[in-house]
Amino acid sequence: MLSFRPHTRMNEPPRQLRVDVADLAAAIERLAGDLSLAEEPSGFSVVLENDPDVREQRD
Amino acid sequence: MTDWTIATLGREIAARQVSPVEVTRECLERVARLDGKIRSFITVDAEGALATARELEAELSAGLSRGPFHGIPLAYKDLCHVRGLPTSCGTVTREYFTSEHECTAVCRLRDGGAVTLGKLNMTELALGPFGDNAHHGDVQNPWRPGHVAGGSSSGSAAAVAAGFVLGTLGSDTGGSIRLPAACCGVVGLKPTYGRVSRAGVMPLSWSLDHIGPLARTVADAALVLGMIAGHDPHDATSSRRGVPYYERLLDTPVDGLRVGLPENYFFDGLDGVMDAAVRAAARVLEGLGAEVVTTRVPDPRPVVDVSNVIARAESSAIHARIVRERPHELQPAVRARLEVGFHISAHDYLQALRLRARYARDFVAQVFAGLDALLAPVIPEPAPPLEAVKAGTVEEIVSRMGRFSRLTRPFNGLGLPALSVPCGFSGDGRPLAVQIVGRPFDEATVLRLGHAYERATDWGARRPALA
Repeated sequence: MLSFRPHTRMNEPPRQLRVDVADLAAAIERLAGDLSLAEEPSGFSVVLENDPDVREQRD
Repeated sequence: MTDWTIATLGREIAARQVSPVEVTRECLERVARLDGKIRSFITVDAEGALATARELEAELSAGLSRGPFHGIPLAYKDLCHVRGLPTSCGTVTREYFTSEHECTAVCRLRDGGAVTLGKLNMTELALGPFGDNAHHGDVQNPWRPGHVAGGSSSGSAAAVAAGFVLGTLGSDTGGSIRLPAACCGVVGLKPTYGRVSRAGVMPLSWSLDHIGPLARTVADAALVLGMIAGHDPHDATSSRRGVPYYERLLDTPVDGLRVGLPENYFFDGLDGVMDAAVRAAARVLEGLGAEVVTTRVPDPRPVVDVSNVIARAESSAIHARIVRERPHELQPAVRARLEVGFHISAHDYLQALRLRARYARDFVAQVFAGLDALLAPVIPEPAPPLEAVKAGTVEEIVSRMGRFSRLTRPFNGLGLPALSVPCGFSGDGRPLAVQIVGRPFDEATVLRLGHAYERATDWGARRPALA
């Protein structure tokens, strides 16, 4: 059961809101096409915490 | 009062040349005299501040000093839960946010001897980059009344610029520390994601929220960061990495550092004066021995799209109750932004989180393999007039918000440390700013570059003339 129903009139969101949501969904559809099975959200923390100090490599 | 920094005042207090009570009283008098027009405070705790200052003075008399923050007046964005004070989060509800734990960052500063003057104005629910607020008054830019102070940490930046306090805390989900710092001509630092605990702070988007300092100088921002950074058991996302003594690294010369000036995205459609000021800042760093190179960075637009999905979905989950039960209390543009989140699918939200990891990995690998920092503008134009940003339909206002924060948002999605430093003024006296971005957890290099730049120029030393 949905806990949130902000739009009472046939529960239909206003036009601009539909456009905004559609734009965001289209962006994800476009960008996520080649995600591999191994890519998961926690990869973000791994990137930050495990960034090697490439300055040392360059030196 | 307007000439002190945390570093200089801390030394004077420790040497018993200045009294914490005297300083606190002076700040409170200045707030009482001038903040009626600027509207940077929501709550002023004069009684509590003076009581704390008296205790700290007694400690000094007994030979006890807590360090560089002993007796320093600070104030906090009104989304930090501080025991005994209400936390409105910029809403009409006096106590919108409560938490089992006090704000960890505030606790660390207070334990270090800082005096809490009060809680600062902000954009409602931290949703907006201009600092307008229908409930607590629009924060005015101290340099140019009638113009935006930037947001959402509008009061945090304006209070520092106006000389009401020596430093403040803000939060940054899409630019909310750096944008007001840039508009108000002060220093603002968004640290790396995980560097500073968010415990006891109203969340807007768990994946994108950062807490950081606003101050008059880069050295002061470094001092505050040193106090608030580090692991906190109350915030599972806070890093266990050690915290450097940032202030001790500030004077390390910047010669040999490689600084990139992006040729794509960040200078597109930029105001001419801002463009010239940021490029001039690059030349100053070059003059100090840094190697400045033009570089092409991975397109930040996908990161911004992905961040928008994450921010909308998480903020609507967090603030569902006020939208559901009291939507009439919210400003129309704030409500509109929250409502989008209710219609984002779980599929899109999860794909966005996965994509974010990829973009962060690619960006760090491609950019920081050959560079120590990036240099970019913070705001696309000097602080615009308040009436102009509030005009038009909700859709127009929301669209304007997105354009104004387009230069800061990428670094929330990427989680990278980013510092806003004053770099000049427009012809009519509005501040300009440059953004210095570093690799993960390398705040030390970012601060070092900012400090070197600041010392080579006098932009940060100027003060607005307040009536």
